[in-house]
Amino acid sequence: MGAWDQRENYVREGKPSYLDERRFTQVGRSVPRIDGPAKAKGESIYTADMVLPNMVYGKIKRCKEYAHAKIKKIDCSKALALPGVLAVLTGDEAPNKWGIVPASANETALAVDKVRFYGEGVAAVAAIDEETAEAACDLIEVEYEPLPVLLDPFESMARASEVIIHENAPDNIMHKGDQIYGDVDKAFEKCEYILEREFKTGRPQQCYIEPMSAVASYDTQNGLLRLWASSQVPHYLHRQMSIVLEMPMSKIRVTLPTVGGGFGGKGEAASSEFVACLLSRKLGMPVKVTYDRDEVFFTSKGRHPCYMKWKIGLDKDGYIQAVDFDNTLDKGAYAGWGVVVMFYTASMVHLPYKVPNARTHVRNVYTNKPTTGAMRGLGGVQPRFAMECMLDELAEMMGISPYELKMKNAIESGYTAINNMYTPHTEYKKCLQTAVEKSGYLEKHGKLPFGKGIGLAGGYYITGTAYTLYQSYKPHTSVTIKVDTEGGVTVLCAAAEIGQGCNTVMAQMAAEALGVHYEDVHVQTGDTEIGSFDLGSFASRLTYGSGYAIREAAKEINEKLKAMAGGVLGCRADQLIIKDRKIYSMFEPKFTIDWATVVQKYVNSVGALIATGHFSPPRRKGIDIITGNRVQGANIGHSPTFGFSCQVHEVDVDVETGRVYVKKVTEAGDCGTAVNPMSVDGQVEGSIVFNMGAALYEEMKFDANGKHLNPNFHDYKCPTFMEMPDMDTNIVESYDPTAPFGVKETGEGAVQPTFPAITNAIYDAIGVRFYEVPITPEMILKALKEKKEKEAGCGCGCS
Amino acid sequence: MKQLIKLEINGRVYDVPVSPRDVLADVIRKKVGLTGTKKGCGMGDCGACTVLVEGKPILSCITLAITCNGKKITTVEGLALPDGQMHPIQEAFVNQGAIQCGFCTPGMLMSAKGLLARNPKPSLYDIKHEMSGNICRCTGFKRIIEAIEVASETMSEGVK
Amino acid sequence: MFMNQFEYFAPKTPGEAFELMGRLGSKARILAGGTELVILMKDRIIRPECLIDINNIEEFKGIKYEPGKGMVIGATTKIADIQYSEIVKRKYYALADAAGEIGSSQVRHMGTIGGNSCNASPSAETPTPLVAYGATVVVSSATGEREMPLEEFIQGVRMIDLKEGELLTKFKLPEPSPKLVGRYAYMGARDANEIDFVNMAVTLELEDDKQTVKSVKLVMGSVFIKPLISTAVTALLTGQKFSDELAAKAAEATQGEAKPITDVRASAEYRHEIVGVLARRLLKEAFGAAQEV
Repeated sequence: MGAWDQRENYVREGKPSYLDERRFTQVGRSVPRIDGPAKAKGESIYTADMVLPNMVYGKIKRCKEYAHAKIKKIDCSKALALPGVLAVLTGDEAPNKWGIVPASANETALAVDKVRFYGEGVAAVAAIDEETAEAACDLIEVEYEPLPVLLDPFESMARASEVIIHENAPDNIMHKGDQIYGDVDKAFEKCEYILEREFKTGRPQQCYIEPMSAVASYDTQNGLLRLWASSQVPHYLHRQMSIVLEMPMSKIRVTLPTVGGGFGGKGEAASSEFVACLLSRKLGMPVKVTYDRDEVFFTSKGRHPCYMKWKIGLDKDGYIQAVDFDNTLDKGAYAGWGVVVMFYTASMVHLPYKVPNARTHVRNVYTNKPTTGAMRGLGGVQPRFAMECMLDELAEMMGISPYELKMKNAIESGYTAINNMYTPHTEYKKCLQTAVEKSGYLEKHGKLPFGKGIGLAGGYYITGTAYTLYQSYKPHTSVTIKVDTEGGVTVLCAAAEIGQGCNTVMAQMAAEALGVHYEDVHVQTGDTEIGSFDLGSFASRLTYGSGYAIREAAKEINEKLKAMAGGVLGCRADQLIIKDRKIYSMFEPKFTIDWATVVQKYVNSVGALIATGHFSPPRRKGIDIITGNRVQGANIGHSPTFGFSCQVHEVDVDVETGRVYVKKVTEAGDCGTAVNPMSVDGQVEGSIVFNMGAALYEEMKFDANGKHLNPNFHDYKCPTFMEMPDMDTNIVESYDPTAPFGVKETGEGAVQPTFPAITNAIYDAIGVRFYEVPITPEMILKALKEKKEKEAGCGCGCS
Repeated sequence: MKQLIKLEINGRVYDVPVSPRDVLADVIRKKVGLTGTKKGCGMGDCGACTVLVEGKPILSCITLAITCNGKKITTVEGLALPDGQMHPIQEAFVNQGAIQCGFCTPGMLMSAKGLLARNPKPSLYDIKHEMSGNICRCTGFKRIIEAIEVASETMSEGVK
Repeated sequence: MFMNQFEYFAPKTPGEAFELMGRLGSKARILAGGTELVILMKDRIIRPECLIDINNIEEFKGIKYEPGKGMVIGATTKIADIQYSEIVKRKYYALADAAGEIGSSQVRHMGTIGGNSCNASPSAETPTPLVAYGATVVVSSATGEREMPLEEFIQGVRMIDLKEGELLTKFKLPEPSPKLVGRYAYMGARDANEIDFVNMAVTLELEDDKQTVKSVKLVMGSVFIKPLISTAVTALLTGQKFSDELAAKAAEATQGEAKPITDVRASAEYRHEIVGVLARRLLKEAFGAAQEV
């Protein structure tokens, strides 16, 4: 049970319950998830579990020779001759470029003319079984002409005159941008404390346990294509499929079976999906393509390594005056989410602290490595790491506690940042306070024995975006609610349940809005044909977006039921309350009738009740609020509201082996109203362990030729049970009055503070600051050795 | 050339034609049709494919099916009680919030079953140590541990 | 990836196994636990034409202890059976400890002690304590048996002293002196599911004064092509009164003996550093334990 259940947040003095929109009965319950039993019994069907009549299997031939090479010739004749092989496919058969951001779309279903990273798909086979398909892939002969391999973004920029990765990027830069607000240089002149640092972040991957899988079935008679896929963005996948297959979206239907995690890695279309569809259209029979784990490592777009230069200035009282941030991102081979991630890193400067002057220069650079993209907390994790570590250093320069410095600069509700980002509500200070008090941070920080340390860091994240990734002003989420005497309450939305629990939370919100119980609601998501429109599960957008649409749809249904009930009860409809499966008069409780009875009467006299609600986010412009001028890329970063959190990590550093053990994490989060506190705690615990791995050991490694050295779980190290720290997660009391049910986000905000909290704790433990993650045992030992030599070399007793 | 083998899965006997190279996970999933057992890595590193062979947790993605000829196998579908009610371990996983995406869950449940069969009252360290072959990327493990603790309690009450 | 097609044999007696091995020769590979072999086959690093599964041969399984004579462990005994065995824990603590740190619970229920040595991977866990306890291996064939110390059986990376037609069938561990203690330690990036950067076992016995080292043997894994016995530790500590300084000196000496390599998991420099740390800690831990005996 979460902390929420032990408190009575919703009982507010002096306000009758029917007038208190915050007195919830279904929202705020730690109900077990709707899909739990089926998952526990092994009955949930994931894409790879599906078998359709006459289904055949596809496999992708990947380039394992080079990370950058021209394709001179592909000879599939031997593969086609293998018994059991039904079709082959090469990139030139589907050359239309796809990409989630239309302006930078530059991927093809399979490589066309050249390969740009080790493991890129060059051809595909359909065969009667996977074994045959794989054997056929081995028989495909590809002739390559190797090209120089660029693995480092700086080398990539420097050698652009000699070798380019994409024709339309002659400098090997995918995109770059500058954002300048206020007068940064002048502000620095007046600063008392100025710190300049360089940071670097590693190359982790999502590592969801379910590899991508796709089943496609093309009906040659009516030209309809069905695609079942393990995706978190059915809508964007739908669009990309339409582009690559040159078919109208109305002829394609995307359905999500149960999805085994995504964390951003399934937030784009995948080759498996295109290949399954293309082969199915070629053959007129269903085709399944399921990835092996190494294929997931090659193609799932992990986190961008960032090479960051920072300068932060404080006035004599410790108020931030200026931030100067320069970021070079390692894009890998293709654009993907690149533009968005890059500008997110720039936007992260503006919260959760007040920054009156800011300048960011960002560039995202192509390299011959697997493409980077959207990974949990995209664009936030890297700058948050740097900023929170630097604030600790600045606090030390000032001789105050990092807690004091962060409290001093923390934003408050109603804050508008200099880039016009507006925060309607925040309990960030309460997060800092709670985590600090519960962990005993102030008593421990700077006072623990050598080798033991405690570190504090905060963070925030968006609750959905302000814009779609393509030019469109349609609502971002639509929810249809159907109430009838057969199915009861059914919520229809093309959202993606990827394990985060949106179906459960949507059921709770719908039950709350309709005055019924969570158990009465059926939620149908993950189907572009059945559900009303939704953009997908990314940017921590779904609870807010669907909550808004649910509330709208429910309002319409409630009005109709109240009118019906008013007639039956003989009272005015606007004086009726719907709660707890009953409809009653707010003044005369004896005027009451069962909700189900009213539904029956309505259906019998009118027919099924159906209503659709929509959510469109407020569209704030990315402008400089002083000049009012538009700023390039600054529409990215706005959100209807923001979630906030703070983590305090306690670590033991084995100073002889360099191993870092995260012992205890105290977390406090402002997720607005916790619709399902148990689910919130689960998201937070998962987030902490997720980024603890990337802070300490997770790293995709490449050799000098760009060959991926550890595309497996032996050598790419995810945290195990043994690494799990003791975790105390706290949901601070919060209610965003601008949000449906007062909700915000928690799925990505909680990963933000982990890198800097661990890094700050390591500093507290051993007196060495790290500016790079992952912080490996070797780095710790080397740093300790250098520290010792330095101290010995000085000899004056100073430190 | 295929050979016919006998697998006793969840109390039912299946005669299945297999090639020697067929791994148990594929045979259970594709030939027997029990898709509750998952493949997450195919190399024995993630534990999603864990099943019990003669009561012991093994990795079905790196076990040759042919080596299980005549053996008793339990998969996640065989955990529930005969009337379809969830096993206390399954119930605890659901109620404690130990399930998010659910892809690691079948393997987790089978490892937990193997652990509790051998050690009905495991310590926190025992749980962490013996479960560490199962990777979960969603939950951070905490609620899975709690679920195993709850199941251990429930099951020992049942014995009394 | 899928394995190549192969023929599968599951002999029930040693005789049948030897007959098959004689007939199939180098075309066949032996399948024990399969936790390494199947992965190598799935990665297409090896593509044997035949597999001989020796798990159904009762003679090759089991843990037998006879007081005064020591222990015999069949080559296809599961790692988990060693991890959980009370008698192994009591008599050969470091071996039970090492067994419990192999891979995962599932791997321990699949893998065999014979396989752990026959793979001849430098990072293997059990050869280190086995060598420390002075284990010998019995290699059998249709024509007879050979017995040799484990450190001679393992010759290098994926190289073992097995001639065509021969099988590793058992490990023999001498009866430990009642006062001998054994300890095991390892270091990896995580605390589970790990391929060790370095592992190490030590056996140590004190004189009646509980201070003077009567005998000591330290063995290192993952720092050389095979388990490496430290001659320096034995030379420095035997007959000496144990002290922290002496342990530190001995540990430093092990760093001179280890010859680690750099790979995707750790650098040679780091392994070198860890050898010294583990050796010092392990010697102190073993000394502390020996005082309690």
